Amino acid sequence: MLGDAPGPGRVSNPFATRFTRPGAIPPLDDEGGPLDVASLFERAMSAGPVVVIEGAHGTGKTTLLVALLARAAANRRRMAFVRAASVADAWTVAAAIGGASRDTVIGLDGGERLPVGAFTLVRVLARLRGVVVLATTHRPVGLPVLARCRSTPRLLAAVVGHLPTHGGRIDGSDINEAFGRHGGDLREALFDLYDRFERRDGRG
Amino acid sequence: MTAAPDPRPLAPHVFVQFCHGEREYEPLDALTVRYELQGLGDEELQAVEHSVLWYTEGKGEEDMGVHFFERIVDRDRLPAAAVTRSFATDLPSSPLSYEGVIVKIRWCVRVRLFFTGGRDFVSEHVFTLGRLPPARMPVSEAS
Repeated sequence: MLGDAPGPGRVSNPFATRFTRPGAIPPLDDEGGPLDVASLFERAMSAGPVVVIEGAHGTGKTTLLVALLARAAANRRRMAFVRAASVADAWTVAAAIGGASRDTVIGLDGGERLPVGAFTLVRVLARLRGVVVLATTHRPVGLPVLARCRSTPRLLAAVVGHLPTHGGRIDGSDINEAFGRHGGDLREALFDLYDRFERRDGRG
Repeated sequence: MTAAPDPRPLAPHVFVQFCHGEREYEPLDALTVRYELQGLGDEELQAVEHSVLWYTEGKGEEDMGVHFFERIVDRDRLPAAAVTRSFATDLPSSPLSYEGVIVKIRWCVRVRLFFTGGRDFVSEHVFTLGRLPPARMPVSEAS
């Protein structure tokens, strides 16, 4: 929990990465309500060894994944996080699962970047090692789906509501415009709002 | 009728006093900070960390550097509520505070409280190092 003011004569841009990155705000459903992370975590543990969080770019998959890993840590489970940035990272992912100790919860971000068929290997390795893999992906991969993330203007408005104050520099039309301009990608929409805030911060 | 007790934990407050009242410092200046904790309620402190650090704030990847750090775990040295503590350090020559558009560099004093129940609370208090002029956005509000 972060408290107190940012400082003398300096206004923090509430749309900066430090306030919007996964883990900085709680995961929300597509209407902006709180997600029951504890319940989702229990479902993931019973549905494993591999479950996926599906959704397009910037719909909150990584935010949910980070919250689930935090839940794992709070439950005193070992956890690990691995991000697939390209097809070549399939080996990194395999090594992370193959080297994990039993009962580890592994967060795999960017699963859509792995080659076709990689999830078969992930599932086999996870079962062999006795670990649970929570993976984000843009498309169906034939594995149990824990959550389908979807963005809406109301979700973006709710995210903005969780950020530090913007001091009235951003209004509802900004939020709707940013959402529409970036096709519902909340990450890009928040960058858009960052720029709008800067323009109206009295330094333009 | 009596109102039901609020189950939410109290939000502590950290009052910080800088040796320069306007919180503006030059490189290599001495920084002395006094702080006081309030609103701890019945929660017991397990540790307190105070630090002086810089961080970036912007649209991209974040960066940070810790210049001074001290963690207090000794029960006898832990600050009780409304008791003032202080620490001092000499500031470095860089990086200077910068109010950019895409990225900003901020210096701050951070006080972090760890409670025995597992909760923690972070309080940050920004100051400026150096006198770099702020960047400005292009005038047009292009959309």
